[in-house]
Amino acid sequence: MNKQIHLEGHLPVDHRLSPHWQFSNLPLIGRVLANYPVNDLWETDFARLPRALAKQRRRARTFAEQYLMPAADELDLAVHLPAGECHPTAHRILCEAGKQGWLSYFMPAPLGSMPWGTVLHAPIWQCSLIVEEFSRACGGLMLLLSAHHLGAMPLILSGRVNNMLRYLAPVYRSCERGEPHLIAFAITEPGAGSDVEEGHGAEVYRPGVVATPTEGGYLLNGRKCFISGGDLSKTATVFAALQGEGMDSWTCFYVDCSDPGYKVARTELKMGMRASGAAEIELTDVFVPSDRIIGGLRNGWALNRATLNASRIPVASMGVGFARAATETAVEFARRYKVGGKELIHYQDVQLHLATMVAETRAIRSLVWQEAKAAWQPRQLNASLCKFHATDRAQRVCEMAMDLLADHGGKHENKLEKIFRDVRLTRIFEGTNQINRLTMVEDWQAQLLDFDHSVGV
Amino acid sequence: MYMDTEDSEQLLEEVGRFARERIAGMAARPESPINTDQLTLLTREACELGILPLTTADDGFSIWEHNDVAQAMSFNTGALRHIAYASPGVAFAWHRLALARFVAVQQGLALEQKDLLGMQLVPTGHYGLGRNSLAKWLKAEALSAEDKDMLSDWLDRGVNATTIYAPKDWKSLVWPIWSDDHIAWRHVERKELEVSSGNAQHGFDELAGFAVRQTSIAGKTIKPEPDASRSTYARLLKMDMLGLLSIGAGALDRGRALARDYAGIRKQGGKLIAEHPAVQHMLSDIEITRHNVDMALAAFARPVDELDVGAVAATRASMSPALCHAANQVMQVHGGIGYMRDAGPEKLLRDQNMLKLMSGGTREIHAFLAGWTGAPA
Repeated sequence: MNKQIHLEGHLPVDHRLSPHWQFSNLPLIGRVLANYPVNDLWETDFARLPRALAKQRRRARTFAEQYLMPAADELDLAVHLPAGECHPTAHRILCEAGKQGWLSYFMPAPLGSMPWGTVLHAPIWQCSLIVEEFSRACGGLMLLLSAHHLGAMPLILSGRVNNMLRYLAPVYRSCERGEPHLIAFAITEPGAGSDVEEGHGAEVYRPGVVATPTEGGYLLNGRKCFISGGDLSKTATVFAALQGEGMDSWTCFYVDCSDPGYKVARTELKMGMRASGAAEIELTDVFVPSDRIIGGLRNGWALNRATLNASRIPVASMGVGFARAATETAVEFARRYKVGGKELIHYQDVQLHLATMVAETRAIRSLVWQEAKAAWQPRQLNASLCKFHATDRAQRVCEMAMDLLADHGGKHENKLEKIFRDVRLTRIFEGTNQINRLTMVEDWQAQLLDFDHSVGV
Repeated sequence: MYMDTEDSEQLLEEVGRFARERIAGMAARPESPINTDQLTLLTREACELGILPLTTADDGFSIWEHNDVAQAMSFNTGALRHIAYASPGVAFAWHRLALARFVAVQQGLALEQKDLLGMQLVPTGHYGLGRNSLAKWLKAEALSAEDKDMLSDWLDRGVNATTIYAPKDWKSLVWPIWSDDHIAWRHVERKELEVSSGNAQHGFDELAGFAVRQTSIAGKTIKPEPDASRSTYARLLKMDMLGLLSIGAGALDRGRALARDYAGIRKQGGKLIAEHPAVQHMLSDIEITRHNVDMALAAFARPVDELDVGAVAATRASMSPALCHAANQVMQVHGGIGYMRDAGPEKLLRDQNMLKLMSGGTREIHAFLAGWTGAPA
């Protein structure tokens, strides 16, 4: 018998004053309006999803629990590997993820692995669901599997079918064969830290990477830093300014990482998400043929911003995954750890604490789903808002979980300390949350400056 | 022992110099924390300088050796703050070592230097702060059977493992146990305990985490008289919380310096980030916290017996999250570089989180205060 009748301070479900069980005895209309199933919260949300997305969500959870969760500690605690080396466990997971379609789900068959049933829904929604499940299992492995989609995004957003068939399709096919081909997204420039778009607004922009015209293409020279997955990627979408021009000349180049002159200089010693490398890339006269310019010359800035608008909602979903993992861990602790002869869950203050955590987690999930559902053309305002708010609140949930475990909260074995280290990055990358607040306002200007109309919120 | 303000300031200057010249040097690379041998070396040097006690019999000015005058309290908290500026993990280890000595002296344990340096203090029970019950006992209020059960469980060392963070080579520990409706103390050798080492913990990289259980009857138990038991424990609790606060203040000072330096050199949007209101706001958050922690520590620079344990606990409950928030802002000012282990802010944030979790954490302080102020439980 492992089911207790009721928590202290609460009525048993079959008590006369606990009416839920009596709802089923109401007349039909009463039952229709009042009776509800007492389901697990994850399952409740599952039932609210369109069937194809729900199926993907369950598949993602199964994969995450089977492959990511068991490897999370090993990869988090592993010795920092030299740039370019892949931990055997990470490699095994990448191969399996590729085979199962987790590296090719932004396009439907025959190009990719997106189930046809999900085609009817914004791809960002599917991505957000998957990212939540992966984040809950391991932040580092989630990033290892997800940064690749960020790298691939300019190929899709360029809108050129040719790019997709010529460049993306072989990548996807390779992944599905179990031969992972990762694409890195290289925008952040040296000296940056609080904003991926450092040069934006600068009076004098010094490009981190310069593209110099040469016969048949361009030579890239310079450095990019904090490139997630850049250490293991086979190709990269690299953004560079054209020689002698400013940031408005940014152009996206699809670079083969095995080309001469391309070097992974180092990988960072990160606080968390350690299963995924953050690489610094050195480019020395890397030749890129003209046909590997993605989206046309000087269209890089637009592609970059469109990519970020697409990716910031899934980043918000990382926050949901971490908050959920923290809440689930705290709930488990409270259900099992005894103080004064009874489990913590029986104490009212613990119930209040957990209730707040659950509410915070589900509130940010609602926000993410609301934005993701409508994100066919993700708006900067919505994406940035979603990112900064969800990740800020997610960290708060993780802190609350650690507070609940108190002295035990800092122990690695209790999982929360890693979840905290992982969630902390979501408030920094893809633009710090301060930057995201400003990009939200930037995109709101049309309403804010229109004095003929009041501003709706 | 008499200590005036000038003495206290001179001593603090010495500690500050030692922290800057010896500890900070070894802690210069945050990704390569001070190791056990270095910590042992620094501890011996600190003993020789009188910052840490040599034996239980000595009479000097080491940390937490005196708590009966305002200047001594200023020295205690100020010294920990200086040390924490260089390394919060080292400051925590020394804070606990000094408190272990305090307990040993109070309980009449005669220990030589080698015994003292290997001794760890566990100030609280296996989880939280004994809810309402500890506060009631401290107030000498009549305890219900439920309170007694609570405290008996809280200080039970056999059923639940107690988590400690200590130098890897610790030799013994002293911890409170519940005996005859009062807090007694037990000094146990490590070899007589069930000790399991954990994987790397969240912070305090200089130390290691252990889960400790006592499953056999061993060690020396000291049962003070009820009043002495209460007063010793109340003093210990106050000094422990003030120490944690001081270490947090030192870590904040360091983070503040890092954030200000970085904001003064890093450019964004064509100007220094210190000129952006978004960054100014975060720097101001750090200043506000610093101001508040300064005020709190100044308010508690009084003989320990004059301090209200509820006031100290309440301050800890409000300041610890604020210190963590400030550490987060230090990281946020740095952006991506702040997340990297070789930069500094991330270690300060982890250490600040650890400080919040120590000694029962801060969440149960509300229950403790309810017991202390007599509010209905």
